[in-house]
Amino acid sequence: MDVILNQLFAGLSMASILLMIALGLAIIYGAMGVINLAHGEFVMLGAYATWALQTFAGINIILALPIVFVAVALVGWIIEKVIVQRLYHRPLDTILATWGIGIILQQVVRLSVGAESRFVKGPDLLSGNTQFGGLIMSNYRLFVIAFSIAVLAATWVLMTRTEFGMRLRAVIQNRGISECYGIEANKVFSLTFAYGAGLAGIAGALITPLFSTIPTMGTGLVVDAFLVVIVGGLGSLLGAASAAVLIGEATALFSMLLNDTLGRIAVLAGIIVLIRFRPRGLFPAKTRH
Amino acid sequence: MTTRLFYDLAGLALFAVVIVLGVPALMGFDAFELNTFARYLALAIVALALALSWGGAGLLNLGQAATFGMGSYAMAMHLKLKASGDALPDFMGWNNVSELPLIWVPFHSLAFTLIAGLLVPAFIGGLIAIFMFRARIAGVFVAIITLAFLVAFQLVVIEQQGITGGQNGLTGLAPLELPGWSVDTYSLSFYYLAAGCLMLAITLGLYITHSKFGLILRAIREDADRTRFFGYNVANYQTAIFCISAALAGWAGMLYTLVLEFASPTYMSVSFSLAIVIWCAVGGRDSVLAAAVGAILVNLLEGKLSDIYVEGWNLMLGVTFVLVVMFMPRGLHGLLGDLTNLFRRGAGKRRGNRSAPTQTAKTGQEL
Repeated sequence: MDVILNQLFAGLSMASILLMIALGLAIIYGAMGVINLAHGEFVMLGAYATWALQTFAGINIILALPIVFVAVALVGWIIEKVIVQRLYHRPLDTILATWGIGIILQQVVRLSVGAESRFVKGPDLLSGNTQFGGLIMSNYRLFVIAFSIAVLAATWVLMTRTEFGMRLRAVIQNRGISECYGIEANKVFSLTFAYGAGLAGIAGALITPLFSTIPTMGTGLVVDAFLVVIVGGLGSLLGAASAAVLIGEATALFSMLLNDTLGRIAVLAGIIVLIRFRPRGLFPAKTRH
Repeated sequence: MTTRLFYDLAGLALFAVVIVLGVPALMGFDAFELNTFARYLALAIVALALALSWGGAGLLNLGQAATFGMGSYAMAMHLKLKASGDALPDFMGWNNVSELPLIWVPFHSLAFTLIAGLLVPAFIGGLIAIFMFRARIAGVFVAIITLAFLVAFQLVVIEQQGITGGQNGLTGLAPLELPGWSVDTYSLSFYYLAAGCLMLAITLGLYITHSKFGLILRAIREDADRTRFFGYNVANYQTAIFCISAALAGWAGMLYTLVLEFASPTYMSVSFSLAIVIWCAVGGRDSVLAAAVGAILVNLLEGKLSDIYVEGWNLMLGVTFVLVVMFMPRGLHGLLGDLTNLFRRGAGKRRGNRSAPTQTAKTGQEL
C-alpha cells in the first residue's frame, strides 16, 4: 500500500513539472497554432539562468524565480519578434523553425557554459521530508506541486479576468475583427509567446535540484510536454492540467508495474491511440466557428 | 513530354554524371573519401523518401528515422550472424540469451534480409498510415503521432538488449557476401553500388511524381476534401505513399549499415529524424532530386566544416535551417525556380509584357 502511495506521489510530482512546461506550450499553441519545439530549450535556459544566479550571485532558487521568468520571457519575446512572427501562416514550418532555434540555443549554451552537468542546490528551507505513515514526501517536491497549482491559477486569472486575457481570447476567436476593434494582434502574440517562454523558464528553475542541468535536458521534456498539450485539448488550461496529472500518474504506475522504459512505451502507445480517436484532445476548448 | 518532366530528366542526367564520373575523379579515387561519400548517398535516399511523402503528399513524417533504423538493423542482423558463424552473436551471451531468438533465424539468408529490409518498414509504416489516415488525421497531428511512434520505437529497441544489442547496437559485422563478390566498403565498386541504388531510387521517385498517382497525391496535399469528393479514396493513396516512403527509408538504412559497418539506436533518435527533415527542406521538399542533393550538400558541408569547428557546426546548421525555413521555404530547388521565373519575367518586361507579376509572390505560402 505504501509503495503505491509513494508511487502516486512521485507521479504527482512529475505531473506538476510537466504541467508547468506544458502550460506555456499550451498557451502558445492554443493562441497561435505554433508548435514550439524550442520550448524545451527555454526550460534549459531557465535552469542555466538559475545555476548562474546561484553560482555567481549566490541567489537561491526561490528568489531567482522572478529574475529567471523575466530573462527567459525576454528571450522568447525576441525570438517571436524576429522569427516566429513571420511564420504564422505556415503552421507546419513553425515546427521546423523552432527546432532550428532549439539547436541554436543548445549550441550557444554548450559553447559558452560547457557541456558538463551543472549542479544547483535546493533551498535549505525546503530540505527534509514530510511523513504521513508510510508515505514520505520531499518538502521540495511538495513546494513544486503547490507552486505549479499557483501558476495554473495565475494563468487562469490572466486569461479570463484581465484585459490582456480578453484581448488574447478575442484574437484567438477572430483575428481580423479584433484588429478592427483596435487590438494589435502582433503585440498580443508577442507578449503571449514571452509569457509562455517565461513559464518554461520557471519550470527550468524549479527542476534544477531534481534533474541534472545539461544542454540537452530540454529535448526529452518537450516531447512529453507536447503530448500533455495534445492530450489535454487545444487551448484548454484545465485540460492541460488534467492531462499532466493523467500522464504523470500513468507513467509512475506503469513504471511500478513494468519498468521505467516499458512504462514510458506504454504511455506513448496510449497517447498515440488517444490522438487517433480524439485528435482534439480530452477536453477541447469550446469555440464558435 | 512536359517541360517539368524534361527539367527533371535533365537534372537527373546531370546529377548522374556528377555522381558517377565527377565525384570519384574529384576524390582522386581515394578509398576513404569514396566511403564517406557513399554514406552521403545512402542518406540522400532517406531524404528523397521523405520528400515523396512530405513534399509530394503533404504528410510530414517525423518518424522517418524509425523505418530507416528497421532496414539498418535488418542488414546488421544478417552480417552479425555471418560474423558469428555457428556461434551465438557475442552480445547475446552478455545478456544471458542462450538460444538464437526466433526473429533472428531467417536472417541467415541474404535474400530474406534484403526483402525484409524493404517490406518490414513498409508493413509497419503501412500499419501506422492505416491507423492514422482512416481517421482522417492530417497536418500537425501526423507529425506528432509519427514523432511519438519514433520515440516509443527507439525505447523498445534499446530496451530489448538481448535481441538488439541495446544501447550499443550491433557491432563487429562481417562484410556482405553477394554472389561472386565480397563487398569491400572501401572500394570504387562499392561506391558505384551506392550510387546505383540512389539513381534507382531517384528514378522511382521521379516516376511516382510524374505518374497519375503522384498527381492525385498533390491534389490531396492541396485539398484532401475536394479530392475525396471527386471519388478518390484519400486514405488509400496516403497509405500507399507512406509504405513506399518507408520501404525506401529501409533500403537507405541497409545501405547505411553496409557503409558504417554497425547499426546503432542513434539512427532512430529524434534528432536524426529531424536532421532528415532539415536535408529535405534545404534541398527542396517538392522534388526528390532536390531532396537528395540537399542531403548530400548538408552532409558534405558537415563533413568538411565539423573537422574545423567541431562545436560550431551544429550552431551553423541551426542558423542555416532557420534561415531556409523563413526565407526559402521551398529550399534550393524553389530558389532556382524563382530565379528562372524572375529571369523570364525580366525578359518579358523588356518585350513590354507585364502580365505575370503575382506568380512568384504566392509560391512561399504553400503548406
